[in-house]
Amino acid sequence: MNNTILWYTTRGAGTVSLVLLSTVVVLGVLSSLRFESSSWPRFLTTGLHRNVALTTLVFLALHIVTAVVDPFTHLGWLAALVPFSSYYRTFWLGLGVIAFELLIAISVTSLARGLIGHSAWRAIHWLTYASWPVAVLHGFGTGTDTWSAWMLAIDLVCILAVAVAVSARLIARPPDPLAADRARFRERVTRKVTR
Amino acid sequence: MQDSKPNETRIRAREAASRMLTTVTAGVAFGAIAGVGLFGVVSAYTIPGVAADSTGATASTSTSTGSTSSALQSSSTTVGSSTSSGVAVSGGS
Repeated sequence: MNNTILWYTTRGAGTVSLVLLSTVVVLGVLSSLRFESSSWPRFLTTGLHRNVALTTLVFLALHIVTAVVDPFTHLGWLAALVPFSSYYRTFWLGLGVIAFELLIAISVTSLARGLIGHSAWRAIHWLTYASWPVAVLHGFGTGTDTWSAWMLAIDLVCILAVAVAVSARLIARPPDPLAADRARFRERVTRKVTR
Repeated sequence: MQDSKPNETRIRAREAASRMLTTVTAGVAFGAIAGVGLFGVVSAYTIPGVAADSTGATASTSTSTGSTSSALQSSSTTVGSSTSSGVAVSGGS
């Protein structure tokens, strides 16, 4: 395959991955806020959050694979799997590897949520709040198009969207008035099961 | 019998929402595929990279500053062993 196409695909897939990941974070916050309307039922947010998260992984894989197989960059698979092992922009590429591996951990534990329990899943899911900024920093540090006007506009929209969603999450009062009771009940059930 | 109507309405609403989820997911997936193509073209237009002739001498064809792609442009070994047309590209992700 033409090296040029691989390089452009890496950059295109990286941009799309950032947009998708930001969408996943916003949808995740919306589902935790139990957002719904007459035309948008709550399970649509949850379902879309899950589906877009899986789509993000596919495009991140495309971003990584095209970067690794590009013969010009000769990054190697080790650089794609082990953080800070790359000869090229060690720190910034390392951040990308960390963000990807955090996302893998979040996705796998979400799929195995029934096996690991709600508390463990929730604790690991909080890592999303670490993964997203790490991914954004990776883009700023090593992205070829970082300082292009169109990429800056995309970065700005993504950062604003996530900032607004997270602010709403922090400001909003607990949407479920029975949340404490539910948590207590869940704890009792978990204790009974483990006995 | 009177209770079945609200249930039917709920079932229909849920089915409609399920269809909507499928449609929106497919839209996101196709949009993302189109996005890779679109952003690939835009990135190619803004920072096309570096072309090298068969002697290994490089000449920048970039229409913008392309400052972030400089680290790989300095690699001369791969440029020399690139495709038959003698064109190589460089840059980060």
